[in-house]
Amino acid sequence: MKNLVKFSVLSLLVVFLFASCAKQPTQEIDAAKAAIDAVVKAGGNIYAQEELKQLNDDYNAAMEEVNAQSKKLFKKYGNAREMLAKVETDAEAVLTLIPERKEQAKNEAIQAMDEAKAAFDEAKTLLSKAPVGKGTRADIEALKSDLAGIETLLTEAQAAFDSEDYLSARDKAASIKEKAAAVSEQVQAAIAKVRR
Amino acid sequence: MRQNVLLTALMLFCQVSLILLTQSCQAPPAPSEVNQAFKQEQDLWRAGASIYAPDDYENYCQLLAKTRKHYEKEELKIGFFRDYDQVKENFSQVLEEGNRINKLIEDQKASASGEIISWKRELYSKYQTLETLSFEIGQRTNSRELLVQADIIFREVDRLLSQAKYQEARARLDFASSLINRAENILYRQLKRYMSWEEISRWRKMAEQAVKKSKASNRPVIIVSKLEKKLIVYKAGVPIKTYQISLGFRGLSAKLYNGDEATPEGEYKVIKKLSQSKFKRALLINYPNEEDRIKFNEARKRGYIAPSAKIGGQIEIHGGGKDGLTNGCIALDDKEMEELFRLIPVGTPVTIVGTTDQNNKIITVLKREER
Repeated sequence: MKNLVKFSVLSLLVVFLFASCAKQPTQEIDAAKAAIDAVVKAGGNIYAQEELKQLNDDYNAAMEEVNAQSKKLFKKYGNAREMLAKVETDAEAVLTLIPERKEQAKNEAIQAMDEAKAAFDEAKTLLSKAPVGKGTRADIEALKSDLAGIETLLTEAQAAFDSEDYLSARDKAASIKEKAAAVSEQVQAAIAKVRR
Repeated sequence: MRQNVLLTALMLFCQVSLILLTQSCQAPPAPSEVNQAFKQEQDLWRAGASIYAPDDYENYCQLLAKTRKHYEKEELKIGFFRDYDQVKENFSQVLEEGNRINKLIEDQKASASGEIISWKRELYSKYQTLETLSFEIGQRTNSRELLVQADIIFREVDRLLSQAKYQEARARLDFASSLINRAENILYRQLKRYMSWEEISRWRKMAEQAVKKSKASNRPVIIVSKLEKKLIVYKAGVPIKTYQISLGFRGLSAKLYNGDEATPEGEYKVIKKLSQSKFKRALLINYPNEEDRIKFNEARKRGYIAPSAKIGGQIEIHGGGKDGLTNGCIALDDKEMEELFRLIPVGTPVTIVGTTDQNNKIITVLKREER
């Protein structure tokens, strides 16, 4: 009887020992989450969309493993720890990819913005030098309004650039450049009217 | 004997173990459907499943996760005991569901793209009409500023469509639509008088009376139609000369006070012939007349114009070219002004109206968009 009591106590101790050893990997979970957050903060949503999706999937799989183990009597979090560690390492690797991609997008946006501004300046200069003559005064007045509209959207593109939304800034600038070139053509047509 | 039996049993055990070991090493390969499904999930996400078929995609992901769990469980077994038949069947179901969602996404995209393209076409047509109108009327208005922004956004939308960014394209079109509506409202406010039957009838009556006057007196009468930008000289009730003119920066509006850049409307007469004006030959008319003064005082009393505003004057029919914009006067080409100057004596009645055309271009453009 005495032995049976001893054996039971010993068994319980072993069970508690196992249970206490198998704590949830909270530290690893936090680290993985923080690593993914860092990717998002660095612009992963724009510049590393696919990689970020993979990271989130892997993180979710790891959390499923944690949940599955937490329901068991004998919890083994080893696999979940490995999965979470991999998420953290992968996130760090993705984080290193972003600056280069962002830089490339930034350079493209800078070029597009420069081209848009140059096209706008050209149209503005052309318009300021356009001779007011037969049939042009009203046209020139209308084209002045057009330039004011272009300038408003240039500001919008600049705002996108300043908020580091380089892809959007690039597309906006390219559209502005096209319109500014079209206005220049209209100014040229107005000038040609005077010379006729 | 006993030793032999033990030895045989041991050998048998070793053989069975060896067979088991061999079998576990020669585990059947995982079905190809497994990798296909994982790749399919990535492809679906890339295609925008979470946007175009969110519920179906979520269910698909849950099904895939469940199937993967089953597969992983099977993987943990010793090769000999693994059964991939069920795994294969489960993953085939996942793939089938994925294919269905993929088709759904394609359909949704085609529909979204078609919807956006058709909306853009509709807006662009409205934009073109307003743009042409705003250009033709030659009025100082910030409607063009808004229209040019809309045009840039249309170009941006084309770019977004080519990148299959339908949601962003839709949001930008929404913005373009609001710009176009604002531009239309500005033009509408400025030009609504030209769409009013009562107003047009009143102008027609004024013009008819002027013609009658010329018929009765056998003297010349001038009728100016602002929208058509025409000055017609009638004599004995018959039009004898028609000239193309230009008006003020806001010439289509009715003049109310000094500096509003509008051209007056009403019945006037030539009060002075100026052979040496700023714009060569000029015919000075008697603006403001009594009616103008009443309107001006009323507007000032009601606070429509600043208390310091003045009624203005010095409205002329002058040379300088029909090309441009005046501050409220009516301008002709010098050569034509020279001819008109010779034709018109002091005292000639001048009737200035908005339009007499009941089907004028403003009605054609703005009436159909009338709210």
